[in-house]
Amino acid sequence: MSNIIKTLDATDCLEGIESVCDIESGRISGKIFYDQKIYEQELEKVFARCWLFVGHDSQIKKTGDYITTTMGEDEVIVIRQKSGGVKVLLNACPHRGNKVCFSESGSTRGFICNYHGWSFNVEGNLTGQHESGIYEDSNFDKSKWGLKEVAKVASYKGLIFATFDPESPSLEEYLGPMTWYLDALFDNQEGGTEFVGGCIRSTYECNWKIAAENFVGDILHAGWTHDSAARAMLGGAVSKVSDFEESYSVNWNGHGYEFALDTVGNVAVLGDSQLNKYLHTIKPSVAERLGDFRSNMIGSVSSCTIFPNFSFLAGQNTVRIWQPRGPNKIELFTWVVVNKSASQDIKDRWRKGAMMTFSPTGVFEMDDGENWEYCTKTAKGKVTAKQDLYIGLGMDSYLEDTDLPGNVYKGQLNEANSRAYYQRWQDLLQSKSWADVPNRNKGKAEVEK
Amino acid sequence: MNSKEQQLTPVSMEMHYKVSGFLNMEYRLLDEERFTEWLALMDEDIHYWMPGIENRRRENLLSEGFYDANHMAFFDDGKLDLSRRVARFSQPSAWAENPATRNVHSLSNVEVFEGESESELLVYSVFQSVRSRGQDEEYVIFGRRRDLLVKNGDSFKIRKRLILMPNATLSCKNINTFL
Ligand code: FES
Ligand SMILES: [Fe+2]
Repeated sequence: MSNIIKTLDATDCLEGIESVCDIESGRISGKIFYDQKIYEQELEKVFARCWLFVGHDSQIKKTGDYITTTMGEDEVIVIRQKSGGVKVLLNACPHRGNKVCFSESGSTRGFICNYHGWSFNVEGNLTGQHESGIYEDSNFDKSKWGLKEVAKVASYKGLIFATFDPESPSLEEYLGPMTWYLDALFDNQEGGTEFVGGCIRSTYECNWKIAAENFVGDILHAGWTHDSAARAMLGGAVSKVSDFEESYSVNWNGHGYEFALDTVGNVAVLGDSQLNKYLHTIKPSVAERLGDFRSNMIGSVSSCTIFPNFSFLAGQNTVRIWQPRGPNKIELFTWVVVNKSASQDIKDRWRKGAMMTFSPTGVFEMDDGENWEYCTKTAKGKVTAKQDLYIGLGMDSYLEDTDLPGNVYKGQLNEANSRAYYQRWQDLLQSKSWADVPNRNKGKAEVEK
Repeated sequence: MNSKEQQLTPVSMEMHYKVSGFLNMEYRLLDEERFTEWLALMDEDIHYWMPGIENRRRENLLSEGFYDANHMAFFDDGKLDLSRRVARFSQPSAWAENPATRNVHSLSNVEVFEGESESELLVYSVFQSVRSRGQDEEYVIFGRRRDLLVKNGDSFKIRKRLILMPNATLSCKNINTFL
């Protein structure tokens, strides 16, 4: 069957794109948050090329189980195959392009298009049409008209990623040593993780990068922005990040993880002592599994973004995608992740705690939305958008002598990850092919197991 | 009207009047930011629940149709959770609440029935919440509500609230109010 997708031909890079950010001197401009031309380049050079998170294994357990999501603005169906594998299919009928699946999740033996009744099986192959006789008269070759399949699908510890680009590096190469850190949340117990049921979707009038960057390496905002929420949940201020003796910012290929080693700083804001207790209880077994270092990260003050738009917080266990919907709008999809082996009571507590803090009704997230929207909206002013924005904290904090994998920087109050994020973004926008994308990694690529 | 509805017994006109007066007063407290007084209307055992709405096909519905008690929810709160939300509103460092959000809550389609016990009342209604923030932001949320009230002297306490909005995607960034 030839359901393989046609890929985009790379268009020329946008004139002047090399000057919108000058990362080495710690400067970006607001233009990158409010420019339609830049946005169109992003859909092509970022979202149609990079590996994008599309779902978790636990959401589609049995053959025919599916969820729908988007890759950039392209709608896709993520569906479990009989073989046990996963296919990611364009949610658009090859006849006139109508959407074939209108449900956000479910279980099915196939999809039937509402318009002229083309029907597709779980593999996406076209299996029949209304008035099928007339197709035979036209020498119609059914085998050529299935739902289009994205170029590549791969997963890491239950996290399913897909890419539209057959030329993209493997997922393994794309994630690089970040997987070593991902394990602190996604593989800290036997059996791994699962997502709680449902998906909360909301809409922000902000640029997608502002939100992704907030999780890639901006713990600086937490102590200030989230003061009111912390006081409400903890009865006091959030942990003062500058007081931590040891903390890091680590990045690779634009992904970034900033973290302390305090074990429970993040989980504590859920205000549920049972969850702190759970993490303390499993910690020795995590240390056995992943080593002492990462056992300190299971719920510590931290945040992570996998480039371009997949983010999570270990401890709060919120997982999200910032779906681009134009230069100044996103749809936010959020889920809650829990250890499969945890008791139902612990899972329920996480479901509630994550929503109470990081969701559209979350006491923490409410303040973020306001900030991100106005970082975006001010750039509507032509003159304002041209001004420099400072992104230079921690310029000289790179750690040469460390055993930790990735590009490692000292301290989490540091804009090193944000710089690496925007640098990668700019590199992609300046590159017509993967071969042109510079390798800016300087740390250890290998992951010790 | 299904058989379940037929079993419901509407309350007297006087009781209906009292209940709708109580619910209108509750909404006015919210609009006037009198959160502590609002919180006092909640029963100690309050379950304040606004499940996430999932857009699913008819043959793949969840235990409650478009929602499920074990799935993610906007609110799935007891008294402690509600009091924490109220505490956040009252912090001087709730930067985003200054200037304040201006709220108008309204309630219609009120139906009041006798509850399972003498002291309980079952109330169905439709709510509308209009919020304006900053210079020009406006957010409107509509939905249906099912409340379980308990009689409390001359007034009532709210023991259960189920809030159902029709939207599977919230069309704004947050719900910084109660519904
Ligand atoms: S558009 Fe789908 S069958 Fe015609
Ligand atoms: Fe935040």
